[in-house]
Amino acid sequence: MNDKTDDIIAAHRADIHSPPPATVQRWHDALDAAAAAEATRDVPRPRVLQPSSFFLGMAMAAALALGIAIGFFVADEDPVTELPLVAESPRPANAVPGALSRGLQVHFRDSRAQIMSLPEAQDRTMLVLRIIEQNRMFENAATSNDAPKLARVLRAFEPILLQLAADDLAPADAEALQAQLAFELNVMLTKLGAESSDDTQPHDLGNTT
Amino acid sequence: MAAVIEIGSSPPSQADFHRVITQRSDRWYSACLKITRNPDLAADAVQDALLNAWRKRGQFRNTARLDTWIHRIAVNAALNLLRKSRPGVFEALDSDVEDDADRPDQVLQDHELESDLAASLARLSEVERVCFVLKHLEHWRTREISEEIGTNDGCVKQAVFRAVHKLRADMQHLERLES
Repeated sequence: MNDKTDDIIAAHRADIHSPPPATVQRWHDALDAAAAAEATRDVPRPRVLQPSSFFLGMAMAAALALGIAIGFFVADEDPVTELPLVAESPRPANAVPGALSRGLQVHFRDSRAQIMSLPEAQDRTMLVLRIIEQNRMFENAATSNDAPKLARVLRAFEPILLQLAADDLAPADAEALQAQLAFELNVMLTKLGAESSDDTQPHDLGNTT
Repeated sequence: MAAVIEIGSSPPSQADFHRVITQRSDRWYSACLKITRNPDLAADAVQDALLNAWRKRGQFRNTARLDTWIHRIAVNAALNLLRKSRPGVFEALDSDVEDDADRPDQVLQDHELESDLAASLARLSEVERVCFVLKHLEHWRTREISEEIGTNDGCVKQAVFRAVHKLRADMQHLERLES
């Protein structure tokens, strides 16, 4: 390898891109949520009613991130960025096949109902963790059905669900999270419902306002 | 810096993770961005890596450094997300690799990357870029790369050679423009 090549490699090594601050915050929040959920699973603790504005702040940040993700998903797409990845593809990129769309509607509806009537503490944790598992299944299904934006939206639900899984969550915080999740799920259900009139066609969820 | 990040005999704590996020996440993000060329995928890859590393922190060997361990996991996560988002992305290895720099979505992303070097990387084919990044920036062995992307060592070496050749030409062009 000569000097010129070394220079090129050194230049690329030094070319560091800083992530947006909101993204870094999202990573911190996701870590806290995972740690909280793990603590809940491993060491059951008595519920403590205490003001937890910090925790609520984290939850709101996760909810905001989820809202932004859904916003991107629902918004009109730039046609330049939405070119099909495979030219011969019979359906547009981000189109969701009918079967997956129907399954998602059931998943969102069930999740909304469960979230709105969650039991307390330990039972709630187990229920939310089950919802997370189902959510991951649909995320994988979206990915394998070439619907990356839908997969991202589903992935964005996870941090906020993990927050809700913590058993030391103050009731007010839990209520706020439940309301936020119910709202986001309603948005998704409305979106899916509006596009399910023709079940014979895949639903192009990424290209409709 | 290293003394701050090195971890003792117990598994790394939540605070250790927060500290390395603050200190080193720009490196992880940059590596993932160079592989995926998509800021969203790069951010997701880092998040996946962090959550995976957290779940498996009991397996963390104290002879290593937490930040380099997460870095490696993030690179793997980026490769996985790239493969998921563009199925068949590495299949071109077995045939002649076309330069796909003129795809409109890539042109747009090149603009968003806002760096001559990033744009230079973006002008490589997916395979050339990934092989170059893994070989020269991430220090993977040729065998590791070929196993990761499902090809043989010769194809990887060719891809790296083509990448270096193109990057050199690009850099010479930039130098001529500057002078």
